[in-house]
Amino acid sequence: MNVHVKGSQQSGARVPERDHAMFDAELSGAVLNFQLLTRILTWLVPYKLRLWASAALVLAASFAAVLMEVVISRVLVDYIIVGDTDSPMPDLGLIALTQLLEATFGLPGLYVAGGLFFVLMSLVGVLGHWHRLTLIDAIVRSLRDLRQDLFAHLESRPSSFYDRVPVGRIMTRVTNDIEALYEMLRGLGSLVGEFVPFFVALTIMLSTSVELTLILLMLVPIVGTATYFFRQATREIFRQVRNSVSSLNQYLQENLSGMQVVQLSQRQERNQAVYTKINAENLNQEFRSINLTTYYGAFNDSLASVGLGIIIYYGGGAVVQSEMSLGGVILFTRFMNMLFTPVVLLGEQLNVLFRAMASGERIFQALDWDEQIREPENPVQLPDRLEGRVEFRNVNFGYERDTPVLKDVSVMIEPGKKLAIVGPTGSGKSTLIRLLGRFYDFADGMIFLDGIDLQTISSRAVRKRIGVVLQDFHIFSGSILDNITLSDPGITRARAIAAAKTVNAHSFIAALPEGYDAPLVERGANLSQGQRQLLAFARVLAADPEILILDEATASIDTETEILIQDGLRHLMRGRTSILIAHRLQTIQEADHVLVLEQGVVREYGSHQALIEQGGLYKTLHDLQFQEIEKPSADVDNTL
Amino acid sequence: MKPLLRLIPYISRYRWQVVVGFVGFFLARFFEVSTYYLVALGIDGIGALIQDESLPYGLSILEIVVGIVCAVILRFIFVSRARRAFRRVGQLVSFDLREQLFSSVLRQGPAFFARIGVGDLMTRAIQDIALIQRLIAFGLIQVVIMVYAPLFGMTAMLFKSVSLTLLILPLLPVLYIYAQHVASQMAESSRVVQESLSELAAHTQENLSGIRTVQAQAQEENEIRRFFRTNNQYAEAFYEQARINSLMTAWTPWLTALAQLAIIIYGGHLVMIGELSVGDLIFFLACLNMLLQPIRMAGFFITMLARAKVGVVRLCEVFDAEPEITDRPTGSAPARIDGNFVFEGVSYTYPGAPTPALSDISLSISPGESIGIVGRVGSGKSTLLKLCTRMLDVSAGRLSLDSVPIQDFPLMQLRSQIAQVLQDPFLFGEPLGANISYDDPERELDRIWDAADSAALRDTVLNFPEQMETLVGERGVTLSGGQKQRATLARGLIRNAPVLILDDCFSAVDTETEEHILSRLKMLRAGLTTILVSHRVSTLRHTDRILVLEEGRLVESGSHEVLLASGGVYAELERLQTQGQGAAETEVTA
Repeated sequence: MNVHVKGSQQSGARVPERDHAMFDAELSGAVLNFQLLTRILTWLVPYKLRLWASAALVLAASFAAVLMEVVISRVLVDYIIVGDTDSPMPDLGLIALTQLLEATFGLPGLYVAGGLFFVLMSLVGVLGHWHRLTLIDAIVRSLRDLRQDLFAHLESRPSSFYDRVPVGRIMTRVTNDIEALYEMLRGLGSLVGEFVPFFVALTIMLSTSVELTLILLMLVPIVGTATYFFRQATREIFRQVRNSVSSLNQYLQENLSGMQVVQLSQRQERNQAVYTKINAENLNQEFRSINLTTYYGAFNDSLASVGLGIIIYYGGGAVVQSEMSLGGVILFTRFMNMLFTPVVLLGEQLNVLFRAMASGERIFQALDWDEQIREPENPVQLPDRLEGRVEFRNVNFGYERDTPVLKDVSVMIEPGKKLAIVGPTGSGKSTLIRLLGRFYDFADGMIFLDGIDLQTISSRAVRKRIGVVLQDFHIFSGSILDNITLSDPGITRARAIAAAKTVNAHSFIAALPEGYDAPLVERGANLSQGQRQLLAFARVLAADPEILILDEATASIDTETEILIQDGLRHLMRGRTSILIAHRLQTIQEADHVLVLEQGVVREYGSHQALIEQGGLYKTLHDLQFQEIEKPSADVDNTL
Repeated sequence: MKPLLRLIPYISRYRWQVVVGFVGFFLARFFEVSTYYLVALGIDGIGALIQDESLPYGLSILEIVVGIVCAVILRFIFVSRARRAFRRVGQLVSFDLREQLFSSVLRQGPAFFARIGVGDLMTRAIQDIALIQRLIAFGLIQVVIMVYAPLFGMTAMLFKSVSLTLLILPLLPVLYIYAQHVASQMAESSRVVQESLSELAAHTQENLSGIRTVQAQAQEENEIRRFFRTNNQYAEAFYEQARINSLMTAWTPWLTALAQLAIIIYGGHLVMIGELSVGDLIFFLACLNMLLQPIRMAGFFITMLARAKVGVVRLCEVFDAEPEITDRPTGSAPARIDGNFVFEGVSYTYPGAPTPALSDISLSISPGESIGIVGRVGSGKSTLLKLCTRMLDVSAGRLSLDSVPIQDFPLMQLRSQIAQVLQDPFLFGEPLGANISYDDPERELDRIWDAADSAALRDTVLNFPEQMETLVGERGVTLSGGQKQRATLARGLIRNAPVLILDDCFSAVDTETEEHILSRLKMLRAGLTTILVSHRVSTLRHTDRILVLEEGRLVESGSHEVLLASGGVYAELERLQTQGQGAAETEVTA
């Protein structure tokens, strides 16, 4: 399955603007979209053998289930009890079989009928079980594959995508929406499981009495009509229920997040009143939906019983004219459930189906979101080891049309040199290093790595050569070792430990009871800020990239760790071209050059000393910004 | 199951609805059995017609059919009423639980929210309440089925034939024991599925939040492989659950086949010797079906109970949490606060923390004074401020305000006269104007603009198309960090409170704007108490007195000039900030 839609082919100066708000839009799924349905089914194709087996099994099981009823009505009642053998009504050869068995084993008819019934019932159980298992197996596997494809697709979406679409929105597609598809496919499967007996039973009923069957079938459109009106009536109510639930949750969430403000402003009573109002509105909507759904449900399961009345009434007339036997009438009563369950189920499944349509739309919207970094058609192969010369040449860039973030930026960093980038918030520091990491496409200007145009190298190749340390070190759950090696089989345990030692991370890791195998939880709650920074250094060092990018943490760290970090950083930068978004004065002073950015423009460039003497923007920033011992953590910008 | 008992008071508030449900279902069952009975009667009637005999009880087929239709209609009425009653109770109880949850969290303090995070509380409010609602709405119905189905089934069967009923009776305990066994298996497998589902969600969340790191380190392939393990594990757990459920569906009717066998062979025999009618035989089969209903439900019911139990425990944890701050006004507190805070040997230790966050603080703040506080992260600045608004209560020592212990002030009175601007700028999903005038939604627009002006926010707001009506927060316009800080600053300033506390709320505001705001502040706050936390000497120098905190202790106190002259921590800080020394090195000496 080629779900990875190939790269955006646009050429020209700018990436076309995309409407990321689409991800917020409530997709209706109001119509049955067969194209969508077919598309979902393509994931089932690899498991078609299981599906066929499942279909064959359900057919056999249904047949056995129908035969069971024939044993009761025709064999037990007509043949054994009433002694009516010459009725023209169908018995599928079961009466003959009973007679044969009676003669062969010399058993009374009752025992033979009982035995037949028991065998058929066992068949229904076993075949039905295998039918369900093969079906569920196929569905679960195909959805696992779909989820895997979706995940793989998301892994390669560029930063510009994640900048604009909140993680929560994407998450629900991977979890809830796929669950909804399961509900739908399982529902479709059980519909098949119910409709096969429906048709088998219908065939027998038609051959027993066409007229009575047709009369009973007239009840089906009644269920259909009821379902139609029910859906009409509930669509609006369900929507309002959903809305009231989401405003309920939104209000609570907001109050929880801003609890201190609420309490300091003494808004408790007022907010409780607002919440009660939303809560009451929700209750009101829920009541409306309950009223309708309970009537609808009760109506549906009453119809089969009405059918029983019809059978008795019609049967009474038919037996008098010898058109039906008593067993025939009983057969009809026993088939009523087989006739109505699937129809009612269909009505219920419609809701699931419509819900799943919306989920399917959301999943495929994500899967079809082909926004990606432009990869070169014939990527240049990089040498085994780069020297590490980086050059920005007249780079212009903006995330959005008409709002340039970088303007004509040019700078050259010689191999092994350290460049500190400084500037006020929003000056384009982070953007500059993001472009170097090939996180964004840019059309105006060029960046060179050892003289090779960055855009002719594949993004993966670039990133393997550039180690990035962000302000916030992202922990993946797993051991410390896993977090250093990032599951790269090329990095041995020894190498990881060596890296940790070099950047001063070893001592705190070794102090943990489980050392390098100590498990880390998400967001690294069991590590201090400083320890996480050291771990980030170890991670980059273990990967041994030629170029280092560092977005220095602004948060304050205790003195001892701070010294370890500064020292670790020195080791990390050794022999590596380093580009630092620096916040600590010491880091800046140790850099070979300082680049001062303001509103996307290079204002000043030179050594720390030279720039101080120059007395320009750097001097001002220097006086105002860097000297602080600590910066508040509220200002942390951890996006790359 | 003990935690579930806590639900009883909530449900008993709606006991009449519950009674309606039970009675409704009883009647519905009665008419359902009547339908089967009448159908059996009809079958016998038809049998009689074939034999040219008269119909039982002298009824006609038409009369029987009318009876069936009536029974069906009555059942329809009662069953829909009864279901509605139960489902309404479910919703009513969730309404009450939500109200209680909301009022409970409003009373809680920082320690509570540190223990149970926002995400966790949201899960409790959404999922746990939904579990309870479902338990009441559908669980009650299952209780009804479990009681009524065997009751009606057995009674009806005994009514028709005692010996046949006795014959199939021994089978029931076997069936119920089997059901019990499978039900516990089902509950277990459903728990495993839930666990692997949340693991899957956690894995996805974790990966997507760290996607930039993954891509920066070119780890996509590894991550995709790692995800497959979690993904596949979930698929397998799911399959296992489906397998157990399917076995249940397959085996239950098979076990009952023995009973059906008894009905066919012995019942058939009874019919042949004339003790039973054909209709009775069919009636028996229908009743047997009814006896089995609870068995089919058992698995789902036990799973539902187990999950709702967890939900109740988690909700009650919130309900039972004692508020950290109690409002016990004594009446001795003055109505108007001047801002004369006096700390006498005040200490504060966070619950579970090994060392105090503040220890032995003694100081006095005069009304109208402006105080600057400086200190490293974790030095106790925010804790000190929280004591002033009673977001926390002192662990030891005395804190009085205007010569009255601070605990004697009604919380309402205290907090309405002390405005505090928090470090983390939080905006509600409401119009900007409503956010600024959050404490009093009825304030005049002019005053809101004045506050915006003082917080250097006017130009920003003028640029918004809807100005003060612009929706901010998650669903509205995204403000920059600096804009948010200025908006929350305006929220503090608008109250013109006797005491204003600014907790490091200029960090994202550029220096020039900060200078501008500070000079406005000096004018506005003349004669009023202002407490300001900052890291910048350039900010602190504007205050009358500066307090330096280190590791929870007050190490220096005095005006900018005095502290500079004394050559302590503050002077060192000033030297660093104006002369530019390596940060790390100075911290060593500090």
